[in-house]
Order: sequence, then C-alpha cells, then structure tokens
Amino acid sequence: MSTYDIAEIEQLVDGQLAWPRVQEIMKDSKDSDRFEKWVAIQQKRVPWKEQILLPLTPALFIVQKGAQRIVKCRCGQEFGDYRVNWKLEALINVRDSEETLSEVYRGREQPDPAWIQVREYCCPGCGTQLEVEAVPRGTPPDFEFLPDLDTYYRDWLGKPLPDKVTFEDKTLDAMRGWST
Amino acid sequence: MTQTVERTVKDDLKRNDLLFQETGCLFGLQDLRRKAEDPGKYEAVWHILLNICNTAWAVGCRVSASPIAVEGGDALWALHLPTGEAVATSKGITAHPGLLAAFIRSLIELDYEKAPGIEHGDVFENNDAHYGGIHPADFDAAIPIYYKGELVAWASGVSHVMDSGAILPGSIGFMNPDSFADGIPVTMEKVGENDQFLPSYEMRIRSRTRMPDWVMGDARGRLAGMITIRDRVIALIDKYGLDYFKDVMQEYVEDSRRYAVSRVKTQGVPGRIRKSNFKDLAMLGKRVIMPQQNVDLLFNLPLEINITPEAKVKFSLRGASGWVPFGQNITPTAIVSALLNAYSHIVGFDMFNSGAVAAWELDEPPPGSWANPYPVNYFAASGVAWAPAVMWMSSLYETFGRVYYTRGFIEEVAAGAGTTMTAEFAGINQLGMYVAGLTLEQASNGAPARGMADGENSAWCIYTPNADFGNAEVSELYYPIVYIGRNVAPDSGGYGKFRGGLGHTAVWMIKNTPGVEYSCGCAGMRSKVVGNHGMYGAYPAWPDRASYAHNTNLKELIDAQQPLVHESGDPVEPDLAKLIKAASMNLNVVAPFVTPEQLVEYDIVIHPISGAQALGDPIERDPETVRDELDQGWTRARIAADVYGVVAKDGKGDWTVDAAATDKKRDEIRNARKARGVPFKDWWQQERKRVQAGEGMADAVKGMWRTSWELSPDYGAEMKAFWQLPDDFTY
Repeated sequence: MSTYDIAEIEQLVDGQLAWPRVQEIMKDSKDSDRFEKWVAIQQKRVPWKEQILLPLTPALFIVQKGAQRIVKCRCGQEFGDYRVNWKLEALINVRDSEETLSEVYRGREQPDPAWIQVREYCCPGCGTQLEVEAVPRGTPPDFEFLPDLDTYYRDWLGKPLPDKVTFEDKTLDAMRGWST
Repeated sequence: MTQTVERTVKDDLKRNDLLFQETGCLFGLQDLRRKAEDPGKYEAVWHILLNICNTAWAVGCRVSASPIAVEGGDALWALHLPTGEAVATSKGITAHPGLLAAFIRSLIELDYEKAPGIEHGDVFENNDAHYGGIHPADFDAAIPIYYKGELVAWASGVSHVMDSGAILPGSIGFMNPDSFADGIPVTMEKVGENDQFLPSYEMRIRSRTRMPDWVMGDARGRLAGMITIRDRVIALIDKYGLDYFKDVMQEYVEDSRRYAVSRVKTQGVPGRIRKSNFKDLAMLGKRVIMPQQNVDLLFNLPLEINITPEAKVKFSLRGASGWVPFGQNITPTAIVSALLNAYSHIVGFDMFNSGAVAAWELDEPPPGSWANPYPVNYFAASGVAWAPAVMWMSSLYETFGRVYYTRGFIEEVAAGAGTTMTAEFAGINQLGMYVAGLTLEQASNGAPARGMADGENSAWCIYTPNADFGNAEVSELYYPIVYIGRNVAPDSGGYGKFRGGLGHTAVWMIKNTPGVEYSCGCAGMRSKVVGNHGMYGAYPAWPDRASYAHNTNLKELIDAQQPLVHESGDPVEPDLAKLIKAASMNLNVVAPFVTPEQLVEYDIVIHPISGAQALGDPIERDPETVRDELDQGWTRARIAADVYGVVAKDGKGDWTVDAAATDKKRDEIRNARKARGVPFKDWWQQERKRVQAGEGMADAVKGMWRTSWELSPDYGAEMKAFWQLPDDFTY
C-alpha cells in the first residue's frame, strides 16, 4: 500500500506536482490514509472552525455544526442541511435568450435557447460560480451527490460519527408551501 | 440400468449462476487458489494471455481491408470462458467485450451445442441487435477452442465494417427509420466451418453491401485474429496444463470483480448520485427517408447511481425518453457492454474483463425508451445505437469524478467527455471506384479536464482508449478529399479553471470525383444543446456544427495563389464566408445531416471534432496559463477577457498579463454575479409559471418530457412534485 507525505498531496491538489510523479501516483496502489490528509489540507485552508465531514466540491463542504450537518462554502456562507440540495440556497442566473447566451457563446457556438437554458449557481457570500447547468426548461436542479455519511464513516472508515441521521433526500420537504 | 447424460456447457452456465447467487463470488470462488499458490506464475500467464489478444489485434487489423480497421484499429479480439465470460481482451474498441460475452452466452443458452452443433473450425457471427448485437456495422464473431476434444474457451473478434448495407451508404446509420433499413443481418449464425467462411456468407455480403471486398476483407481479419488466439492458447495449455488453464481463466474473472468492488469501497463514498443530460436530434425540414422522421427530437439521458453500503454500484436510467424513428435506439444488453467500457476508463482495471459486470447492476431501462425499445417497438432501428449511450456514459465520468473528489483522489477526477460527430463520404473516388465509408476524425477528441490539470488535446475517445484519427494521407487514399486543414480548435474544451482537452477541425476540399455525398453523422453528438457538464462551475463545451460550401471559387483562388480556408475561424464571421465564394454557402449547419446535393470538385467541408468538458470556476484559471494559450492561439482574446477575466495586452502574438488589473476585473465579475443572481426561491416561483405554460420550450422539449413521464411515472411524479404541478399535468 502506498503512502504519501501530506505536503506532496497538497502539491497534487494544487496542480503543482510534476506530471510524471502524478502518473506514478495514478498507477500505484492507493494510499489508505488519503481521506484524512485530504480533509486536513482543506480544514487548514478555510477560515472557519467547524469540522469538515466531506469536501463536496472545490468550494463547498459538508461540516458538523453543532448537532447539524450542513453545507458550507469556503467563504463561510451556509447552505443548510446537506440532505437538501444546496442549490435552493444559492443565487441563480439563467441564460435563456440569444442575448444573454452571447456573453458566453456566440454565433456558431451558441446553443438554441428554446432547447436549453444555462443556469449559473453562485455563492451569495463570495460570488464563486459553484455549478453551471445546461438543461431544457423544466429540469429540476441536479442534486449531484447525496452521500450516505453514516455508512461511510461507520462501515467504510471504521470511525462512526457521534450522531446518526436518516439517509434521505429532504429537498422536496424544504420546498413545501413555496407555490402558495 | 443407469443412463449417463453428458454434461453440457449450458449445465455449467446454470451452475455458475447458482454458485454466484449462493456465494457472491463468481464460479463460487471464495478463494483464488492458483493466485495464492504462485502469484508470479498467475501474473505471468495473465500477461501471456494479454499478449496473445494484442497479437491477434495486430494480425487481425493487418489482414483486414478497410481503413477503419487497418489504419484506425477500430476492432477488438478477446478470449472467453466456455460459458462466454470475457477473460482477456486486446486493445481496441473496449465497448465490445460485454457484447461478445453476451453473444457466446446466447449461443449456449439457445442450445447451439445440440443444433447446429459447435465444432472445431466453426465460425459464429452476429450483428443483429435483436439478439445481443449493437449496430449492424459491428460484426461480432467467435470461434470455439477445443483441447483434446473438450471445449475449453472461445476466441472472439469484432470490427466495424465500412458499409453495413443499410438504406443509406456507410456505417453510421443514424437515418435508418426502422430495423428493416438497418442493413445486412447476420443473426447468431454459423458462418464458417473448417476455418473458412461458407460460400453463402460471402454471397450475401456481395449482394447486400456496397463495399463487399472490404467487408469480406474485414471478416477475414476477424477470423485471422481469432485463429491466432486459438493456436497460441492451445500452445499455452500444452505448456502450463489444462487444469491450471481452466482454474486461472475463472480466477482472472473473479479477481476482476473483487478489484472493482474494492476500488469503489476504498476510493468512493456510498450514497446517491444524480446527473441529468440531454441530446438533440433535430431533423425537421432536412433530407429524411420516411415522413415520420420530419421531426425535431430531444433525448432525456438521466443517470442515477446508488453506491450501496456493500459497495455495489446500481445504475438507473429512470426517466429515459421514448424510442425514436431513427437508428439511435439501443438495447439493455448493449448498454451493459457500454458501461463496461466506461468502467474500464473510470474505475480502472488490473484485469479488464467480464468480472466487473458482476460488481454492478443496471435496472431495466424503461420499456419503450431509447434504451429499451423492443417491448414497445420490436422494429426500432439501431443503425448507430451507440449514439445516445455514449452521451449517457459521459455523465459516468463526471459523476465518478465527483465521488473520487470527495474522498481526495483528485488525480482520478475527470469531467465529462467529448462528443462523437462522424464524417462519411459516399461516391466515386479518384480511382473511379465507388466508396462509402467513415473518416477517422471522430476517434480523437480532447480528453476531459482532470481534477488538477487541463485535459489533453485530440488524444482521447470515449468508445476506445486507442484514440487515433489516422493519417490524413490514408483517408485521402480512400476518399475523394484533400485535407486543407487539420487544426486544434481554440476554446473547444469548455471554459473552466481547468479546460477540457481541445478538439480539432478538419477542412476538406472535394477532389477527383464526379460527385460525392457528405454525411455529417451522429454517433453521439449535440448540435442544438450543450452537454449538462458544467462541473464545479465550468461552462460546457459548445455544440457540434459543421459547414460546407458547394460550387465554390476555390480553383480560382488556388490558381491565383490566394489564401484558402484552413479552419473555422470566428464563430460570428467564419473564415468560410470571409474567404470563399460559393453558389451554396451552408454555415453553422445543425447536425446531423446528409448533404441534399452531391458535392463536386472544389467544394469545401469544415468538420469539427469536439473537445471535452471543463472543471472549476473559469475566473480561477491561472492567468499565466491563459496568456500562454493566447500566445499559442488556443484561446481567443474575447474569451480570455470576458470568461476568464484576464486583462492581457497583445504584443503581436506575444501577450502580457496585467496581474493587478486581472485581480480587479475578477472581483468585478464576482460582484456582478451577486448583483444579477436571484435567490433560488424567487426564480423558482417565476420559472414554475413558465414551466406550467410551456413558455419558451421547443416542441422537442415538451415531447421529451411527455414520453419520459409516460414511461417512468415515478420520475414524472417526482419532477411534478418539484414544480408543485398537478399529478395529471402533461404537455
């Protein structure tokens, strides 16, 4: 089993590691302590103290905040229960006309706005573009990953979390009453 | 008196299935005994088997006739257990081992042992999607391997032929309206004996394909590769013994299953993954074959993956839209094989074979959908069945990338894939010979962005790890075309912190022909829409659009030594329009299409091959990387400024970045995003009214939702619950 110094993992994460070395890491058996080092690197870089349970994207993390597990941006903006699609708490900008699409795609490179809309999800705190969706009207936002955190920590890492929550998508619950 | 009943391979098949159910291990192998006893020997024999398959690939491709196999290597050879499971495969089109395994299994299940019998020297073949094939141009073949009278293995081979005898010339039958138009069927047949093809097989190819010499040449290539495997496997058994060979053949498959499971468990995270994706097929008003094809369609390609606590991976296509009256329907059997291909890229293998299939499950795709058409339309066409499947598979790269990211295996992260837009020519070539066939351009896309780097340019392909667009001179040898451009296409890999590998553009001049048709085909492309692949805030790569000019002034320009057209150029003012005059100028053509007119001398075709998808917020891209790509012509000034937020100054091709101004501009972009963005709930309340009214939605969009909801009522119910629409709402 391979093992790597945390400084080398940090270089890998930052794209600073020489490509031949990256290829060696890709080809070798994987390091069993990567997750711990990965979380430590991320924890060191954020300006807040809540424990990172799972990095979701380069900007978003599932963290333990008191008794709750919430999604939090690296800037500190909070998006609520990780079992609710965090996009419900984001700012959204939609490009669904030739004019608005032209800021990104022009002429031959422009998709047809009657077939597709480009949705930009942005952090209300720092303005990071968190995700972009290109979908026809009517598509619910993708809930890209709903991790089964308790199983992961208890059965896969052998380090159960202190509390247990149900593994369920609570997005529709959070939207109850929106149309009234 | 007791009657002895001879044990059949079919009996073994049933026993194996039962053992897997009982033990969770393939063939009931709870221990890998041979591996444990002598791991070095176990590994050595594995590599011998791989070398045998790759030798078959080299021999088979060289014996083949078509440039697709000879130059592009669009073929594969494999070694199987008697019951069909693929054990070792060559390089080549790795989407096929699953199909070849299913083909051999079907021969056993259909009692071919009894009739017509399975003898040494027999050749079996199938290209019929109704019986496990994928599309008619891919001929799947197999020969039995006997050792001292016992069936001990199979050798298989597949190659993509130039013409499958479909209603239109060539091998990318996207226009086929139904299976009757798909072309020559070879339906689970014994097509050869004594290592030779039967006369009836060759006679059928001669009467039912447009390029019989090349189609037969490819058949002989498949057979040569399979005989190579057979002869060398027999020599290997002579050396290592039959018992050892039989044991390790099974252990390699079980070993692969264990590897796939353990990799998910040690590098993934359990949970639910969802990714929507879409693909258009806009044919309204174009040249089609049947009236019902005069229609615009949008495919729903939804992917849901559940990684269970046991690290089992369950795939679902719940919500897939309906079958289409074109050659773009695929069967569940073929999807399993496609998944194996994607798995080989994403999960990776020490031993790539059928074992991984046992590590996951695919829910039956909605009956009547593009992914399972036969329960509703048994005659649905499959001329290029890969088309929707490869777009769907593209989501697998991104979604697994997201899972690997959470666990910190950033070197394994990949964004979505490029698309597969093909170019075929049909007509008389410079030798006075009729040709119909595929160029190889599509076999070399950009590679997906990585978690920590850009993707490679023109060096990757979703359907084969052997990305190779072949030598231009070889395509010129077969088809009446001259390359006047083959260039990296700037900004074709999406816009992100890390961009996808860039694609390229081929520019062809038609030459030395009285007339030729250009088919800009869909083997998995988008032209009206872009892929839903904005990973971590990146913008997706743009749609696939081709251009062509008919009856041009190119000869005058050449004679006068004036500039020609060598690339697409500006998307609003393309080079073709700026530099060339033509009686018929077709810019920005929505693909796929077949030219309604014969192209003639000095006509021009501009055919782009897509890059792959990007990753990360574009304004986090390293400004120095942007500067470098401005210098190289790989990104354009407007994109650098408006999308990447880089303030740079042009010193006549030698750009410099103003770092302070760039920081300021990027802050302005962040602030502008916050200013124009609206809270999701506010947007949802307005958007809900538009969704309910069908406002700003093409008919193709509404038609897609209608069939998705009909075929997957639970999917429809969840979507309507999201928009809080009545249960009976429809378009």
